[in-house]
Amino acid sequence: MNVLHKPKKFKIVGQGIPVIDAREKVTGSLEYGVDFVLPRMVHGKIKRSTVPHARIKRIDVTRALALPGVLGVVTHEDAPGLNWMGVWDNYRGQILDGISRFVGDEVAAVAATSVEIADAALDLIDVEYEPLPAVLDVEKALLDDAPQVREEGNVRDEYRVVWGDLDEGETQADYVIDQEMRYKAQNYAGIGRNACICTWDGDQVSMWTSSQTPSELQTGIHQAFGIPMSNVRVVALPSGCSFGLWWSNNFMMVTALLARKVRKPVKIELTSQECMAAVKRRHIEITRGRMGVAKDGTLTMADFSHLMDNGAYGFKTDVYFFCCDLWGGARNGDYRVRGVNTNLVTSGCMRAVGDITMGLAVERLADKCAHKVNMDPLEFRIKNQIKSGQQLRMQEPRQHMKGNLTDYIDGLTEEQTGNWPKMFHLSSGSTHELLLKGAEKFRWHERWKGWGVPTRVNGSKRRGVGVGTGAHCCGVEFGGNTSSVVRLNHDGSVNVFSAAGRQGQGSETTLVQVAAEEMGVPVEKVSIVTGDTYVVPWASGSSASTTMFRTGWATREACRDAKTQLLKIAAREFFDGIDHEKLDIEDGIIRVADDPADNRRIAIDELMNVLCSDSLSQTSVITGRPNGVMPPTIAFARQWAAQFAEVEVDVGTGEIRITDYLAGQDSGTVMNPKVLKNQVIGGAICGAGFVLYEGMEFDPSDGRVLNDSLLDYKLLRTGDFPSDPEVFFVESQDPVGPFGARGAGESPAAAAGPAICQAVHNAIGVWVDVPMTPETVMRAIKENEGPKAMAS
Amino acid sequence: MTRLNVNGQSFDVDVKAHEILSDVLRNQLGLIGVKVSCAEGECGSCTILVDGVPATACLMLGRQGERHEITTIEGIGTHDELHPIQEAFVEEQGFQCGFCTPGFIMMAKAFLDENPNPTEEEASMAMSGNICRCGAHPYIVKSVLNAAERMQGRHESKRTTGSTGASA
Repeated sequence: MNVLHKPKKFKIVGQGIPVIDAREKVTGSLEYGVDFVLPRMVHGKIKRSTVPHARIKRIDVTRALALPGVLGVVTHEDAPGLNWMGVWDNYRGQILDGISRFVGDEVAAVAATSVEIADAALDLIDVEYEPLPAVLDVEKALLDDAPQVREEGNVRDEYRVVWGDLDEGETQADYVIDQEMRYKAQNYAGIGRNACICTWDGDQVSMWTSSQTPSELQTGIHQAFGIPMSNVRVVALPSGCSFGLWWSNNFMMVTALLARKVRKPVKIELTSQECMAAVKRRHIEITRGRMGVAKDGTLTMADFSHLMDNGAYGFKTDVYFFCCDLWGGARNGDYRVRGVNTNLVTSGCMRAVGDITMGLAVERLADKCAHKVNMDPLEFRIKNQIKSGQQLRMQEPRQHMKGNLTDYIDGLTEEQTGNWPKMFHLSSGSTHELLLKGAEKFRWHERWKGWGVPTRVNGSKRRGVGVGTGAHCCGVEFGGNTSSVVRLNHDGSVNVFSAAGRQGQGSETTLVQVAAEEMGVPVEKVSIVTGDTYVVPWASGSSASTTMFRTGWATREACRDAKTQLLKIAAREFFDGIDHEKLDIEDGIIRVADDPADNRRIAIDELMNVLCSDSLSQTSVITGRPNGVMPPTIAFARQWAAQFAEVEVDVGTGEIRITDYLAGQDSGTVMNPKVLKNQVIGGAICGAGFVLYEGMEFDPSDGRVLNDSLLDYKLLRTGDFPSDPEVFFVESQDPVGPFGARGAGESPAAAAGPAICQAVHNAIGVWVDVPMTPETVMRAIKENEGPKAMAS
Repeated sequence: MTRLNVNGQSFDVDVKAHEILSDVLRNQLGLIGVKVSCAEGECGSCTILVDGVPATACLMLGRQGERHEITTIEGIGTHDELHPIQEAFVEEQGFQCGFCTPGFIMMAKAFLDENPNPTEEEASMAMSGNICRCGAHPYIVKSVLNAAERMQGRHESKRTTGSTGASA
């Protein structure tokens, strides 16, 4: 299944060109949401709840409206029944509904001629709360007599992935090991904040904001306000680091509501504290698991039960985990996930959702099994992880299909499946080659001394090495379809219109590379619009590692369509009616492919201006769009990461330092190695932050976020991660993705935690809870009575 | 009126007593390269140079800018004529989203003016006052080292071609 990639066949794919907005970024001229302004714009501020759960008994805005400069106020009375749903159930509810569900929840908003006046007016809104009992603990929220956060109740339906028979797996096991892991919520801590600028012109609404998901935001506004999608224009601006924070957020809907009320362009700019305490965060999660292992190192069963809190407005049923596929070699498996609401700030999908948490629990428990049978963690992974061509454990589309899986597959016609890979089997790649290559590069077999055995001891400082693996999807079809439109202009230049986000992952550049490669034109001839829903066709945005795989596919298909139209004209007008499929384009010149003797050449711009024999005019501008459909992505495509870390732990202070790092990535064909290596290391640093420092603290009395500032919420800085990590790629070509490429952004974040945690274990002989702050490390060492004691 | 000397030009600006320097630079002078994120002096996105010394513009009052030479990212290079530090950040891709980038570049400018030949460790330490959430850390440090070479006239541009086995 793995076709070896031959880079020579590509001209633009695989080139490490600078991202197309690099100059704007280094000169500071790139416009983000907070930078955007409109003429006649006024300013809005949001009044936020001070209590975790209450009915608003009375809200009086008289005094606020009397303040000079205040133009209007909106409360829940202005928003009866305005319901909407965010991307991937990250928000479900009304824009404002008269019930406060967490400290920081939106209660009202003010528009005024200045930010200062709007801010002052917030204090003049009198709110009388009728307190309701609040639930601030995810396990308590499960109980029958728990206060209910939502009308639908707290607990979502359980989501399950099951194969084989657990009882059988237990019988086959020589050892069964159990474990519980509890995770604090990680804060997106997005540098860059966000603002939303919205204006109504009659019943047409236009919105500018930083968003990864322009199309879904358009749908959200359409839902909330009940106006046609054709009347909704969203211009998604580039965002600061997002990790899933800026999709479609309720503060954007509040801005739209306020703009409709005052009939002026309104800008609401969030403070850093609002971004860190009142928008969204990663779920608080608890994973309980049991794994069975035979003496020969075969995993006989994997039994996991996972609980996640949705906060107030999240509505997710599961965390979108792909660790069950990664460890798909386990003979029997049962993974269960439940989502539960709490009176805490809304939670949602943060980078590598599920796989950074549940995946870490699975990796750690697998490590404990490997330890039990005294097997090298690398060998154990090779033995028990999925290989290309094997059946996937997650058969998710079931719940979205009419009928069952067999009905679905049997119902597919040959015309539909033509070149499709085998459904519900892994189409390409795995961790196998990454682990082998990585072991060689990292000198794993030399450096790994055994479980809980440091590679070096120097006074109180112990070094250890670890390996971790991660997987994730490459987009998911039931998040919405994918499409792309390209336009070939008379001068031979190309416009690409693809819905995507620009949160720093470089999609605007890599999509241009896809288009330039397929059209046979230099990169400079291609320009792209990603954010304006007045021109881009609906497509699910840059979430779930979608963009390269699905939007890249659509972009390539659209280019193919445009190219076919162009070559048909060329064949007729210039190449004496030759079969157009014999023509090709290179560097913007059309010629007969594979026939060096034929010296006929015509440039695209020349051909676009030839007077055509049918219309007696130049051809109209060519527009291309995908023909055919993309097969359901979740049924075959995954991305893979294997990472190797060396850490130094000071057993006197509990401090952990990462001293060496190697990251291997298999995302299929590499579109742009500079972009990809930045994604891979960025993911590793996100994962490293999660297991080393990061965790949100909530006030136990009312659930407010206590560390809502970068002063109190610690992120990794330069110096906290090696400055010379090595990155390598394995390019197992995907049969569907553009030029063999797949998704990339999330598996690297999932692999880092396991690698670092295992390295710490090997350095000090103890498994440490995350985040592994010095205090936690010291406690773990003490609890295990000395650094040599074993945890399991 | 408050006279502000910014990027080698003088401006007479109506600055209210409570106004923050970053707001004045952004809103009145249109210098949106002064990016503000935390607004409490922690992240360094809004780093400017005040008489050559790095400062977080979010922690200064507008009127404190008087009688100083202020330099923002707009003052060190332009789209068509990048400063060598900016060229280095482009080449090494020392960023992802780009929001924190002007702050890092301004910090790098002050650092390299003082230490034109830094080691990797020194560069890494010097950049640790600014926050990048995307995780471009190694490439930021490489950008600073690359910039040092460029500013000393020792730099040969690297070209990344091919896609296999690329290493960071």
